[in-house]
Amino acid sequence: MDWIRPLSERTGESADVLGGKGHGLLTLRRLGLPVPPGFVITTAACRAFLREGRLPEGLKAELAAAVSRLEAVTGRRLGGPGRPLAVSVRSGGGVSMPGMMNTVLNVGLTTGATAGLAAETGDERFALDSRRRLLSGFASAVPGSRPEVSDDATRQLEMAVGAVFSSWDTPRARTYRELHGIAHDLGTAVVVQAMVYGNRDGRSGSGVAFGRDPNTGENVPFGEVLFGRQGEDVVSGGSATRPLAELAQREPAVWAGLLEALDRIEGHYRDACHVEFTFEAGRLWLLQVRPGGLAGRAAVRVAVDLAEQGLIGRHEALLRILPHHLRHARTPRIEASGTLDLLTRGLGACPGVATGRVATTADRAARMAAAGPVVLVRPQTSPLDMHGLAAAAGVLTASGGPGSHAAVVARSMGKPAVVGASDLTVDAAAARVRAGGRTLPEGAFVTIDGTGGEVVAGSPRVVTAPADPHLHRLLEWADEVCGGGPGRDDAERLTAARAVLLKD
Amino acid sequence: MIEAPRSTGDDLLVLHTLRCIGFAALERVADVAGLQASEAESALIDLAVAGLVTHEPGDFGGWSLTGAGRAADAERIRDELDAAGARAAVTRSYEDFLVLNPELLDLCTAWQMRSADGFATPNDHTDPAYDARVMDRFADFHRRAEPVCDDLAAALPRFGRYRVRLARALTRAVSGAPQYLADDMESYHTVWFQLHEDLLVTLGIPRF
Repeated sequence: MDWIRPLSERTGESADVLGGKGHGLLTLRRLGLPVPPGFVITTAACRAFLREGRLPEGLKAELAAAVSRLEAVTGRRLGGPGRPLAVSVRSGGGVSMPGMMNTVLNVGLTTGATAGLAAETGDERFALDSRRRLLSGFASAVPGSRPEVSDDATRQLEMAVGAVFSSWDTPRARTYRELHGIAHDLGTAVVVQAMVYGNRDGRSGSGVAFGRDPNTGENVPFGEVLFGRQGEDVVSGGSATRPLAELAQREPAVWAGLLEALDRIEGHYRDACHVEFTFEAGRLWLLQVRPGGLAGRAAVRVAVDLAEQGLIGRHEALLRILPHHLRHARTPRIEASGTLDLLTRGLGACPGVATGRVATTADRAARMAAAGPVVLVRPQTSPLDMHGLAAAAGVLTASGGPGSHAAVVARSMGKPAVVGASDLTVDAAAARVRAGGRTLPEGAFVTIDGTGGEVVAGSPRVVTAPADPHLHRLLEWADEVCGGGPGRDDAERLTAARAVLLKD
Repeated sequence: MIEAPRSTGDDLLVLHTLRCIGFAALERVADVAGLQASEAESALIDLAVAGLVTHEPGDFGGWSLTGAGRAADAERIRDELDAAGARAAVTRSYEDFLVLNPELLDLCTAWQMRSADGFATPNDHTDPAYDARVMDRFADFHRRAEPVCDDLAAALPRFGRYRVRLARALTRAVSGAPQYLADDMESYHTVWFQLHEDLLVTLGIPRF
């Protein structure tokens, strides 16, 4: 075995070899958590592929052997006949490059295997939906061309692995690495796992779950779930997700399993974590884990809470918070309180809070702005919205991510922006918007928070850092370490404490 | 038989420019269309008489399309495309554009935001080495965007203006005016954004 490692407790290599995703899955395995069976193709195989322009010597044979073992474990056969095995083929480098590389799901669903899956489940629609996702996965993995998808399952798998390897070297990925100082010669690992189907039936679905609220750091589970769908639909932002807590009613066993898993994972990493998960016919599977990743006040709160719970020491809490977290922490935020009239939530794209009257077209935003602040609310923005963006105090869009045109323009103008609020619909013709099951006419007051992505009706209270008890606590600990002293700002107090601790 | 691609007439050029950039003052319309101000003004007046554009006076005034202007533009720009037999070529270029588009947005985001220890923070432009690296990637991107602009201009000459404007924005940005990357009405990002809108309108693809 040179190129492939089993996804088992005994595999003990680093994320450089297995990729961050593969490494995290092994950790989950060791914690006794449910991970679909599979294997990892190492980053070395990717480097060889990129050097030679084809799958390296011996990889095909290793793939065949690994697939045989997977068939034995699952009692299925790749491509059929009988109960067909389908696999997910996902990228995962040692360094995270979000959104840059490819994933192909449902690999192995040849026309024959699709018929087999339909026969097995008695659900042809589900089988065809899965096959369609395979085809569109290949189409987006090889942009600008229409690849012929082989009807041989083994060949499909080899193609998918090649497509994921190749995605390491797209111009866009190269640009990303140049910008972020990531070496070009690392390559990506590939994680191959038996498919679990979030689109299987009404008791299936996919989601993302955080052990603690990533917007506030509060110690409550947070996240979103999509019933009846595969995970790509959650990440793409194209579908309206439901709050994670809905699982508690609809799938109590999945919910309980998820809470238990998040708890065990947090104990292991000693940090706030989040997971991507799928449940199929009421059974929970974990597909990815990521520790940390919180910013601003949420990061401060988690570090302080973890120290007070005894999971980490106070010194470690101080070392986890970097001075730029405090810069974030000083950005105005909507005050979290029980009376908050939350309409919906999107992705914060430019920090800051904006309150104003809803305008659903750029022209009306420009006109209404003469009488007071407006928030421009659009499905997404186009160049025709520029004068409305210029006139508005903030912008809210239903689609798009933090790199969308709307986000780029809002940041260029320094305006708070929330994008990708997928639950939001904008009816410009009728001059109204719908969110959270409610309808707001143009001219109604809303407030958006470009850090946490909250969209709130009316004019809630806005807070900045000094009122934050967790930050206060952290800075007390900082002063204990370095003796304190008057006349220093938050970042200076933290920096002084870190300097003492890092010297030890 | 298909005619060789012809230049777009001033009236349609101005109408379509306004369709792709939205509300704008005369000077900006003329600059984007690549016309003298007097030529653009003459065309705008003709279009206003026909009820296709309207003018709002005042310091912040400017020209914009009427509903009828929007409909007329959609029809005329489609007819121009078909008369030139350029639909297939422009469709191919649009596909090439879509491959480049996410990368350009990555670049604009990288100019505005920095990733520090995995967290995005506003780029305060105090690190010249980082800014130079982003600028360098813009230049590299432009070398790959140029052939797409050239293909488009070969199919329909009016698209040639984008290459001129993108090159001008980049030149300004690297010569000490970095706001021409993503933070100006004539920035690389804005021009690219308008090219995106133009391709959608030309091919009759709805944005929403």
